[in-house]
Amino acid sequence: MTTNPTTSPTTTGSTVTRMQANVEGGKMIADYWENIFTAPERGKKVVWYNGSALNPIFQAAGLEWCHGEAFSARLAAQHLEGPAQLAGAEYGYIQELCSYSRTHLGCAVLSNGGGPTPGGETGVVSALDQQELASKLPKPDFFVNAYSGCSTGQQWDEVTYRVFGKSVPIFNVSIPFLWGNKPDSRYMGGQEWDEATDYVVAQLRDLITFIEAQTGRPFDWDALSESMSYIRTASELRLEGMDLCAKKPTPATYWDWIASVAHINFLPGNQELVDYFRSVRDEVQYRVDNEVSALQNERYRLYFDGIMNWNKLGWLAKRFAEYDAAVIAGRYTHSSFWQEPQIIDPNDPLRGMAQHYLLCPINHSLPTLDYLTQRDCERFDIDGLVFHSTRTCRAFTNPQTMLASSAKEHLGIPAMFFEGDVADASFYKDDILESRLVAMLESIDVRRAKAGV
Amino acid sequence: MNAPLHRLAEVAADPDAYVVAWKQSHPGRKVAGVLPMNFPEELLHAAGFLPVVIQENRDPDSDGRVILAEFYCGYTRNLADQAAKGKLDIYDTYFVADHCVQLLGAADVMRFKAPGTPIYFGQFIASMSEESTARKVRNEMEHIVGEVERGAGTPIDRERLAESIRLYNTDRRLLRMIFDARREGRIHLSGAQMQDLVKSSMVMDKAEHVALLEQLLTEGIAAGGSQARVKLHLSGHFCHAPKQELLDLIEDCGAMIVDDDLYHGRRYITTDVREDLDPIEALSTWYFDRNVNVPCPTRVQHDADWDTYLSNAVSESGADGVIVLMAKFCEPHMLLYPELRKMMDERDTPYLLIETEHEGLPMETIRTRIEALVERISRKATVAAAL
Repeated sequence: MTTNPTTSPTTTGSTVTRMQANVEGGKMIADYWENIFTAPERGKKVVWYNGSALNPIFQAAGLEWCHGEAFSARLAAQHLEGPAQLAGAEYGYIQELCSYSRTHLGCAVLSNGGGPTPGGETGVVSALDQQELASKLPKPDFFVNAYSGCSTGQQWDEVTYRVFGKSVPIFNVSIPFLWGNKPDSRYMGGQEWDEATDYVVAQLRDLITFIEAQTGRPFDWDALSESMSYIRTASELRLEGMDLCAKKPTPATYWDWIASVAHINFLPGNQELVDYFRSVRDEVQYRVDNEVSALQNERYRLYFDGIMNWNKLGWLAKRFAEYDAAVIAGRYTHSSFWQEPQIIDPNDPLRGMAQHYLLCPINHSLPTLDYLTQRDCERFDIDGLVFHSTRTCRAFTNPQTMLASSAKEHLGIPAMFFEGDVADASFYKDDILESRLVAMLESIDVRRAKAGV
Repeated sequence: MNAPLHRLAEVAADPDAYVVAWKQSHPGRKVAGVLPMNFPEELLHAAGFLPVVIQENRDPDSDGRVILAEFYCGYTRNLADQAAKGKLDIYDTYFVADHCVQLLGAADVMRFKAPGTPIYFGQFIASMSEESTARKVRNEMEHIVGEVERGAGTPIDRERLAESIRLYNTDRRLLRMIFDARREGRIHLSGAQMQDLVKSSMVMDKAEHVALLEQLLTEGIAAGGSQARVKLHLSGHFCHAPKQELLDLIEDCGAMIVDDDLYHGRRYITTDVREDLDPIEALSTWYFDRNVNVPCPTRVQHDADWDTYLSNAVSESGADGVIVLMAKFCEPHMLLYPELRKMMDERDTPYLLIETEHEGLPMETIRTRIEALVERISRKATVAAAL
């Protein structure tokens, strides 16, 4: 039975003050996708890609780019993932497969003309839905894969390539996993880091050669520098806003930063992007200056580990707020997406880009993730950790229990786990989330009582 | 059962006991635990290690259950359990070359539980079609050599490495002779016995294994013994061995296993390391050759098709059908499976997908499904004969 948050002794039921900047930001996302959907009629070439944020390269090459995970996330967030997942299931993809890939491959099946036999109708997806999805997502002119951390990512695009009958060119950029083999291995340092950087930079040059062959045009290096200059500035503004959330109560939450993931991850690097993140930073600063908190009554400060559960984004924000729990930061938002802008040199951008691809938060082994988690828990004075045990995302779930143990041992803070998924709502269990959240908050209360706080 | 088969089965049934006994009889020597599926064991052998591909054990997962989530494959969860229980303490060091997110999750657990045991990840890039990959794999091989030498405390002698390569090639060649003879119907060994041959090879000192295989071949393997109605090819099941009771069940349902592409089967033994190249170069080449000979969905190679391989293998063996054994939650296998399915539908080959888990299988449910497959194949043959 679900606890009524209005009567629970641990809740006062905060409401969330949403950031206005994200309302405008939502329009930018809608415009971006509309632009993708109309690419063929504008005579633009479309690249499907997965993994790392290669979009500045595509932008400089005059392409339209469609990020597979982003499209799956969008469908899930809009609760439109069903037809694509059904088409994928009919084609033969098992439900335990990464739901990003399952959704995206379902779209590929539909884009390629239907069910298991190319051109055949699918038996489970209505003709209307089939037509809607298939006509919306343009077929790719080529694929590029540059997946960090998760081995499934590279295999997923290879299978997409096969779903399209190997008729669409593909290029893979391999991002080495940062295991920490050497005694000098550390976050952004050591021999392993340097060698991996050199390797990825060389592949990016090969990628640009491949793209030149696809477009028939020389690559515009100046355009890449310009785009990366905007992205660097946007990232700096984003991080300034995040830093302001060290204040108690926090002026913005993890959920606000989730709302701007798409922007920093794949929107064009341009003045509009900078303006958007300036508006975000300014709004957070305004809140700090005017004592406006994100939650009405912040009593707990939490850290979120795991990839986003896109089906439940708004739901989760409200769920935590009901218990006065401000989720402040997370691995997905704070250790991702051009998060080290100081290493981007707009005049020679490839090295900093390669390094950011290596810095994907699923591309580290446990020691580095321990470092990042504990760094942010201390930085934001976190009371507890929330782990989203993401059913079909093994990459993000990999080290979670060990991260929880380490945080308990080194920082003395408790953790909770809840089950869900990136893009398949059937794996989410609300009662489990609620009961475990209540238990963790009570343990925080006990700890405070013992400490006389 | 003759003596060599008995010994190989004994080692396959309890690899840990073999490792412990080997250490006792080789004082001062080290055992290197290798995680599947592409690490070149020859390097470790040449450096004086006993290389052992760490096997899933039979114990129910308990201590490790809470470390890796339940949606990891049976092998990686069992590795975590073995690490949590200290069962892996028999190894002096670990080596990994495969970038599988679940395998690396298990490796992280192994390092977390035994921080004093070195674990080296020498990543062999999985995307095989790019020109840069060959150079990268060659460089990584040099790094691995350095790490192996560091662990051994002595440089690897190239001539000794060449000897190790020859020894491993001999083992693979002898195993292939047996696998080929089974495919051609010249011998009969059960699925479990065939698995014993390969699994013991992953564990034992290679010279000892070769000697047992030579003895087995000299003594001869019987040809008859099967009353099977249909011939099957077993496909898939990476990293760890399918449970022998499942193989027994397949045969008990009236099927004879004539060929496979299992990791604990033909996949492991398919490719020799070239002896006409510099040994390090040859080991790098071996990595690429393997994926051409039996394509693996953990690799990304545009012109290597597992579905085509499987189709050809079925034609060559005359198998009437295919059972796809999938370790539950194995993502590369889940991704490629529809392509296999499409191929089998196109060639009208009956097939069955069975997902396996560490914690046992619903055998009677599976029996019904296998019997249905066998029945379907039998009826198909009857109808074809009547036409």
